[in-house]
Amino acid sequence: MSETLRTAAVGRIRRGALQVGDAAHAASPTPRARARKRGRGRQRLEIALLTSPAIIVFVGLVIFPVVLAAYYGFYKWQGYGPPTDWVGLGNYKIIFTDPAFQQALEHNGLIVVLSLVIQGPLAILLALLLNQKIRGRALIRVLIFVPYVISEVIVGTGFSLMLQVTGAVNDALHSIGLGFLATDWLADPNIALWTLMGIITWKYIGFAVILMLAGLQSIPDELSEAARIDGASYWQVQRHITLPLLGPTIRIWAFLSIIGALQLFDLVYIIWGQYISGTAGTSTMATYMALNGRLAGNYGYGSAVAVVMFLVSLVVALCYQRFVLRRDLRGAVTQGVN
Amino acid sequence: MMKKTPAAAIAALGLGVVLAAAACSSGGGSSNGGNSSSSTSSVTMTFWTNATPGPGLTFFQNAVKSFDAAHPGVTIKMQAIQNEDYDGKLQTALASNSTPDIFFQRGGGKMLAMVNANQVAPLTLSAADQANVSAAALAGETLNGKIYAIPLDQQPEGIYYSKDLFKQAGITSTPTTIPELEADVAKLKAINVAPIAVGAKDAWPAAHWYYNFALRECSQATMNAAGTTLKFTDPCWTKAGDDLAAFLKINPFQPGFLTTAAQVGAGSSAGLVANHKAGMELMGAWDPGTIASLTPNQKPLPDLGWFPFPAVPGGAGDPSAMMGGIDGYSLSPNAPKEAFQFLEFLVSTPQQKAYATAFITLPVNKAAQSVVTDSVSVSALQALNKAGYTMQFLDTQYGQNVGNALNAAVVNLLAGKGTVAGIVSSATEAAAKG
Repeated sequence: MSETLRTAAVGRIRRGALQVGDAAHAASPTPRARARKRGRGRQRLEIALLTSPAIIVFVGLVIFPVVLAAYYGFYKWQGYGPPTDWVGLGNYKIIFTDPAFQQALEHNGLIVVLSLVIQGPLAILLALLLNQKIRGRALIRVLIFVPYVISEVIVGTGFSLMLQVTGAVNDALHSIGLGFLATDWLADPNIALWTLMGIITWKYIGFAVILMLAGLQSIPDELSEAARIDGASYWQVQRHITLPLLGPTIRIWAFLSIIGALQLFDLVYIIWGQYISGTAGTSTMATYMALNGRLAGNYGYGSAVAVVMFLVSLVVALCYQRFVLRRDLRGAVTQGVN
Repeated sequence: MMKKTPAAAIAALGLGVVLAAAACSSGGGSSNGGNSSSSTSSVTMTFWTNATPGPGLTFFQNAVKSFDAAHPGVTIKMQAIQNEDYDGKLQTALASNSTPDIFFQRGGGKMLAMVNANQVAPLTLSAADQANVSAAALAGETLNGKIYAIPLDQQPEGIYYSKDLFKQAGITSTPTTIPELEADVAKLKAINVAPIAVGAKDAWPAAHWYYNFALRECSQATMNAAGTTLKFTDPCWTKAGDDLAAFLKINPFQPGFLTTAAQVGAGSSAGLVANHKAGMELMGAWDPGTIASLTPNQKPLPDLGWFPFPAVPGGAGDPSAMMGGIDGYSLSPNAPKEAFQFLEFLVSTPQQKAYATAFITLPVNKAAQSVVTDSVSVSALQALNKAGYTMQFLDTQYGQNVGNALNAAVVNLLAGKGTVAGIVSSATEAAAKG
């Protein structure tokens, strides 16, 4: 991909430069060709010089650690001295037979699906509502977006205090006569995951709404006007024009949501702490990695878990791009209308 | 792509690397000059501690200052690292061969891993040092007959309780057996306070209940053997779990204990005791200090009392045995001999007295124990001096890996999600990961 980008950029710059020099060199084609060749070399030099810091940082801080993690994942290693105890795929065997990891994977899967099912429709409805000319629209837009801006740590700390058995939520329920609804929101394994989903929805719905709103802005008014002249009702317009044209936005949002859900860590870590997310039924692959890798001092095993997480995310991302996003790359707008 | 790239581009890439490297190194360059200019007779040592700002850190600053003054040519560079960041930083330093000469040692399985990697120096104590450091504490820093750290204090574990709440509930004397403790739990429930606070969110405070039951059910030999084999096949481990499961039946802990932290905030288990919302808490010797910081006026709780973990009828363990933590300091294998002199200096009587006062803790030097005067610490100290033997906290003793798994399994049992058999099997499974 970078190769095509690069040549495209080089081509564009070169063409611009040529146009400037065209008149001056029109009479003698040979020096011009030489100049072009020299220019090409210089541009490559410039590009290499300018991109090298970024490439060094990317390779050093992203690619190299991934390779190192893969390497450590083949060892039993406590992090002291160089790894020596080669176990081959032993760590991976343990990962896939560990019920705690299976549960974490299951929770990740549930969070992926529930995020899509809960946030998607809700975000579209809110975006449709906020796309209307209603009073206080700007204020509502800001209020919906505020939770997304707040740091995860603050959200986590706030909710973990409010949702304690003796916390504000249960107190409020008691004082408005709904005391029978009060429960142990965080510790009850039957409820904890739903509590987490509630917090995730509250936190990230603003991002989805903003994306959808932006998508709605790009849909030309003419289409819905034409449909309305033809007698389509409001909901028919939304169903047959807005929704299909919003498709690319929805698919991109879903992609971001899936990847975010697979790598969910901070909220769970803050609310349930380092140890008990497995007990409460909210553990994720990332919290499993932190607990069994870093906290347990098994850096080799933790690296193997990191590799598994990386591969799971990579496979999901590639499949999604191959089967879902491909249509957008081919121009979904015309297809959507059909 | 490489075929098309002219040599000039590669050269430019190389130049970019050089430029970036130059930019990175220019910041650190000047600071290295200080070390090399020092003359050959002087010694500079690095020293890492986890002491937090306050009296503890001040103690170490003063100790370093007076040691430097007494040893011309010796300079100790101290670095205080926040406790939760400490392990990661130390691990990085060990991995990159930049180990500090003198460093805080957690002991147990962590120390074992360092010993196996030859990254900590064995120590030879003089007769004077042996007299200064209590043998029981030294035993906790010994592996295969060699001493790898000098302990500075001991933190025996026991149950801290509110004397006022016990009086209100009509409890006249502290419980000495588990049936008595269960009766007291019922009495505390009757006056509408949580009988026992536990910070299960941090896992280890909950697991310590299991560890103390194991201390009473298992013999000293069984517990030590499990440290090397990491096999928990002796029936006493299951019996300890059964004891805990039976104890849980009376619901002794505060509601929502699973998401209660141990030491942070008024809602933590220490906070519940500090604010008379809970009657008791099982905790190490640092608890009076923690509780003091969480009382409404941030002063020590005046009615705080202490009693050792009650006896379990029929257990194979010594009823006087105690579990606890030890804070010690280790040396890097490359440390100069002056580093060991600094550790010897720290366990001398005057330094130990200052240490115990600063950290509100129990010094390893018996001659310095006279500075422990508050009634809570005195009762803990008396029990410690009478104890048949002391064990390290099991999650330290058996290494973080198995310790973590044990902690999590006990929390599962408390939450009604796990079984007693699960505690024993989780330790075996964890051993496979490390």
